[in-house]
Amino acid sequence: MSENNICFEINNLEFGYNNRKKILKNINAEINSRALISLIGPNGSGKSTLLRTLSGIQAYTGSVKINNFEVKNLSRKNIGALIGVVPQNFRPAYPFSVWEVIAMGRLPHKNLFDRMKSDDENLIINAAKRLEIEHLLTRNIMSLSGGEAQRVLIACVLAQDPPVLLLDEPTSALDPNQAAKVFKLLRELVKLEHKTVIVVVHDINTSLEFSDYYLALKSGELISQGEIKNLDLNILRNLYNSDFEAYHNERGDVMWRALAE
Amino acid sequence: MNDNAISLYRAEQRRKIFLTALSLIILLLIISVWRITKGDWDIEFTRVIKLLSPWLDEAEKFSPEALVIRSVRLPRLFAAIATGGLLSISGAVLQGLLSNPLAEPYTLGIAAGAAFGGAIGLLFGTSAFIVTPAAFVGAMASLGCVGFIAWRSKGGSSQLVLAGIVANAILSAGVTFLKAIADDKLGAIVLWLMGGFSGANFNSACAVWGALILVLIFAFAYAPMLDAMSLGQERGAFLGVDETRVRIILLIITSLGVAAAVSSFGIIGFVGLVVPHLLRIFTGPAHRPLLLLSFLAGGVLLAGADGAAQNLGELPVGVLTALIGGPFFCWLLIRRGKN
Repeated sequence: MSENNICFEINNLEFGYNNRKKILKNINAEINSRALISLIGPNGSGKSTLLRTLSGIQAYTGSVKINNFEVKNLSRKNIGALIGVVPQNFRPAYPFSVWEVIAMGRLPHKNLFDRMKSDDENLIINAAKRLEIEHLLTRNIMSLSGGEAQRVLIACVLAQDPPVLLLDEPTSALDPNQAAKVFKLLRELVKLEHKTVIVVVHDINTSLEFSDYYLALKSGELISQGEIKNLDLNILRNLYNSDFEAYHNERGDVMWRALAE
Repeated sequence: MNDNAISLYRAEQRRKIFLTALSLIILLLIISVWRITKGDWDIEFTRVIKLLSPWLDEAEKFSPEALVIRSVRLPRLFAAIATGGLLSISGAVLQGLLSNPLAEPYTLGIAAGAAFGGAIGLLFGTSAFIVTPAAFVGAMASLGCVGFIAWRSKGGSSQLVLAGIVANAILSAGVTFLKAIADDKLGAIVLWLMGGFSGANFNSACAVWGALILVLIFAFAYAPMLDAMSLGQERGAFLGVDETRVRIILLIITSLGVAAAVSSFGIIGFVGLVVPHLLRIFTGPAHRPLLLLSFLAGGVLLAGADGAAQNLGELPVGVLTALIGGPFFCWLLIRRGKN
C-alpha cells in the first residue's frame, strides 16, 4: 500500500445507462484512508451506483484511482484482494452452509487448485465470532432471516480481509442492538486494523456517531463532503429537501430529526 | 457453537460425501458386471475375468465370447458411463455459471444446436471429423443465440431457460427441414439422431472419455469460483472472479464436451438436470465434491438407463431419459415456485 493518506481519488467521474439520464454527474472527491466514511443522500441519489463504481464492477468515464491505480485497469483478482463489498440484498440460488459462504471470502487469496488451510479456517471462525453468528455456521444460508444473512455477508468480508470495505446499507435488516454492534465493529476495523470503510447509511445520527467523514449525494451530484462534524442544518435541508430540527442525546451530542411536511 | 462443533460438522460433511461416493462406486460396479455378463448371450462372470486377462492364449483371444466382450459390451458400457458423467458435469457447471438450477445442455439448446450442426455436417459426409466439429459449431452458435436473447431481454434465470426452449423448437424444425431435403442422406441423419449406445465402439468411447476428462479438469480447477458465481448477484465478481472470462472458458469447454457426446451418441436430455440436483440435496452445493459425484452418479444413471433401454427392445436411451427427466423437470419447476 502507498504511504499517502488518500485511498480513493475520484476525478470527473460520470456514469449513465444512456446520455440523457446520468446517474453520477461530474464527481470529484478524495477519500481518506484509515477512516470511516458515510455515504448519505435521498433514495435514488446514486449512492449504490457510486459504491459499485468504486468496487470496479461498473464501467465509468472519468477517473477513479485506488492507491494511485485506476480501478478499471486492475484485474478482478487484485480488486478482490483490495476491496470487499457487502451488497444491499442477498438472495442466494443454492443452499450453501453459512460456513461455506464465509469461506468464499478467502477466494481472492487462492490460486487454481489451492485448498483451504488452517489459517483460512481460523479467519473464518474469527469472522463468525465477531458477528456473533457461530451458532449459524452449519445452517443452510437459504433458511436464514434477512438480518442473519446480512451478518453472514459482513463476516464473509471480514474473512476476505481487504484494506478497503464498501458496505451498502449493511444494517437495513438488523434490529437496533445488532445495528449498533455492526457500526461499533466497523469503527474497530478502522481504529485497530487501519481499514478504510465506506458505508451507505440512511440514519444521519448513526453517521454522526460513528463516521469520520461524509459524502452527500443528491441526484447523482456530490453536493457536499467533509468531516462529519461539519454536517449542518443547511446541508441536510438542501440534501433531503426537508426541514430538520436539532436535539441533544443523553450524552449531549447534537442529533438531527427530519420534520415531514 | 465452539470450534469442536464445527470440526464435527465438517467431518460429518466429509463422511456424507465419502459414503455417497462409495455407494455410487459399488452401484457402478454392479451395473458394470450386469452389463458385461448379461445380454443376448449370457457369459459367466468368472469367464469374463478370464477372457479379459492379458495372458490369454491366441485361440481364446479371438473366440466369439471374447470378441463380444471386448468390442461390443465393454465399449458400450464405457461410452454410457462417460457420456452420463460428461452430461452431468456439464449440467452442474452450467447451473453454477448461470446461477440457475434449471440450466443443462438440453434446456439451454446446446444439445439441439449440436444435433442441428451435426445433421448439416452429415449432408457433407459421415466421417466423425466432419460431424463432430459441425456439432461443436452448432452447439456454440445455439448457446451464443440463447445467451444473447437472455442478455438483450435483461432477464435473469428464467429468461435464459425460455430462450433455450425457443432455440430447441427452432432447431428441431431445422432438423426436420434438413431431413426433408436430405434425399439419400435421410437414413444416415435419422439413424444418427436416434442416438443411443448400440453403435458404440472403441473410438467413440475414447472420444467421449477424452472430452469428459477435459471438462472435469477445467471444471474442477474453477470449482471454488463456481461456488461464488453460483450464488448469483455478482458475488463472484466481488470476490475477485473475472466472471465473464470464467463463463466464456467454461461455456466453450462444456459445449465442446456436449458436442462430442451428441455427435457420437445423439441427444440425451435431462441427465445433466437430474443428477446434480439430487446430489445437491444429499451432499450440498459445493462444486468440488459435486463435480466428482456428478461424474459417478451420471455414469450410474446412464449405464443403467442404457441397460434398461436395451432390454426394452433397443429403445433409444434418450427416449428413456426424457420420459424420466421430463416429469422431474416439472416437479423442479413446481418446487421452485413454492420457495
